[in-house]
Amino acid sequence: MTVTISEFFKESANWAFLAIAVPTLFAGWRTVTSNNIVRAVLYLVVSLGGTAGLFFMLGAEFVGWTVVLVYIGAVIILFLIGIMITRAPLGQEADLSHAMNVKAPAALLSTVVFGVITWAMIDAFGNNMIPPFEPTATSDLSLLLFDRFVIPFEVVSFVLLAALIGGIAIARQDEEVVS
Amino acid sequence: MDAIDYHALLPEIILAVTVLATLLVDLFTSRKSFAAITAMIGMFASFVAILTLAFCDNLTFCTSTGDRVLFGGSFVVDGYAIVLQGLFIFAGFIVVLMSVGYLETDRYYEGEFYFLIVSAVLGAAVMASSRDFISMIVALEIVSGSGFLLAGWRKGDARSNEASLKFFIIGVLALALLLFGVSLIYGLTGTQVFSEIAAASSSVEDIALFNLGAIFVLLGFGFKVSAVPFHFWTPDVYEGSPPPVTAWLSVGSKGAGFVGLLSVCYLALPSVTEIWGPVLWLVAALSMTIGNIVAIKQTNVIRLLGYSSIAQAGFMLAPFGAAAATGADLSQTFSATVTYLVIYAVMNLGAFAVVIIVGTRVGSYELERWSGLNTWAPGLALSLAAFFMSLAGIPPLAGWFAKFVMFSATIGVGSWWGYSIAIVAALNAVIALVYYLKVLKSAFFDTVPADLDVATLEAGTVPGPTSFAIGLTAAAVLVLGIFPGLAANLGDFSSDFLATLGL
Repeated sequence: MTVTISEFFKESANWAFLAIAVPTLFAGWRTVTSNNIVRAVLYLVVSLGGTAGLFFMLGAEFVGWTVVLVYIGAVIILFLIGIMITRAPLGQEADLSHAMNVKAPAALLSTVVFGVITWAMIDAFGNNMIPPFEPTATSDLSLLLFDRFVIPFEVVSFVLLAALIGGIAIARQDEEVVS
Repeated sequence: MDAIDYHALLPEIILAVTVLATLLVDLFTSRKSFAAITAMIGMFASFVAILTLAFCDNLTFCTSTGDRVLFGGSFVVDGYAIVLQGLFIFAGFIVVLMSVGYLETDRYYEGEFYFLIVSAVLGAAVMASSRDFISMIVALEIVSGSGFLLAGWRKGDARSNEASLKFFIIGVLALALLLFGVSLIYGLTGTQVFSEIAAASSSVEDIALFNLGAIFVLLGFGFKVSAVPFHFWTPDVYEGSPPPVTAWLSVGSKGAGFVGLLSVCYLALPSVTEIWGPVLWLVAALSMTIGNIVAIKQTNVIRLLGYSSIAQAGFMLAPFGAAAATGADLSQTFSATVTYLVIYAVMNLGAFAVVIIVGTRVGSYELERWSGLNTWAPGLALSLAAFFMSLAGIPPLAGWFAKFVMFSATIGVGSWWGYSIAIVAALNAVIALVYYLKVLKSAFFDTVPADLDVATLEAGTVPGPTSFAIGLTAAAVLVLGIFPGLAANLGDFSSDFLATLGL
């Protein structure tokens, strides 16, 4: 069955969806096109916030809060700190744009990939209604973490350790002889 | 939850302890070589632990038999895992050996260097045992992450910085593609465990989105194994990185990518070879041809080895392409790739060990500076010849057997998928001779550049650890070439599990 436009607008949840999705898309667009690096980051905040909102609408609370805490709370702040402590052109209209001969193929490729994925998504799921389900409780997730997924959980700590130590070694300023 | 089988996890546990021990030893001792020694002892102990797992049936204290399945099938220790883990530890060991002498030639952080190498080995070892996407990708991240950092280890060198940044950006792109593909497969099959995907794959194989997901996953690993058309980062990163790191990237990091491809294709998608076979057929043909043709024009030995490793990746992918044929014997194509990978690792590590020594001595990796190598270092020239001729596939060096199993597996499927890729491979094996022999011609028959002082060059010594590494790999190349059954046993041992799938 297909949903007509008037039926779509009768459903109040769809209005809520549009209220979140349209600003998310706009912010995503501006993240890429903005010439000001700080503004681009702030647009990214809006875009990620919208994504979190969509997860809340789907009932995936844990994922939604993870996006808020990890991406908006931590990653974006890191971006901003990174911009502040490096010599990035803070607040100025820097020339972040590429030449048209780079932009055009990139835009074409993105459009084609977007088209293919969208077509494949609609082909695979169409108007399937997702059966109502009980969202997984967060406590169950944490139990799984220390049972079934204990190997990746432990391995992640080694990823972080390697990144931390290696990052310090690379970023450290060493004028004196290292030995 | 069942009790954990600690014996099955022992190699990884030892490696994890070694990672921490290397850091602590470096912190509390003044001699930098202690960190390297710690790393090597740890890797050796881990290798012994793997041997106890491999020969478990013959050991009295070992009670468990057969494959060990842990954590609901997401972590398995079988022949495949054991062979690849052994290979990664061997590669890590050799890389540490060749780094010891090299790092002393310049101002490098040493303890952290060995720490990152052992971390990468740990990640690669976990990958070989991983039987679900989450474990595998997290483990892959240690391999890639430490690779990004190690590529930039020559901090004062702009080319090293460029290598690190380029590798990082390409690596993140590859990871994003990979994760997107995994999320599509997970969305359609409802599971991320390979065996369950294998069971569900035939019911969803007609859905375009599933094919798309599988192709995204292949693309992601395609970057990791530096196959054409995802290879463009390889020569720059290989040239810019410190050479021992390049050796690790071309063997360990590439091997980890192949583990990913092997696991995804043969464990998760064995019943839908028509999805991945043709894609990898094309990638294999392109990698061999473009890698070899561009390699001919190279004047820098490291870049030449970079393109050679792209071409070799193509040879390793050829059996995947042949598996597209209906009714292909998957255990034979699988075994061919693993055998090739093992032999390639040994000879490529050896080649890098020699190249690093000569390059450091001459002060350049440009081929024209290397002419007349034979006159001032006949031993090095001879080992260089051994490794390069092995890479070219000339008997009695191990490389011929790698090519032989690859041809017999591709022709053995008895269809044009196999014949065609075998023809492409045969043509490329001939092209490859040109550039491998070009290096040897320069080393043996050309005169030493006039501005190089032969007496100083002759006086140079090879650091002990590196000569040990060269000796070990040279012996392996000879033994595997003369007794190829050893390598074949490893390949068959690793592919045993496919017989039980009944495909």
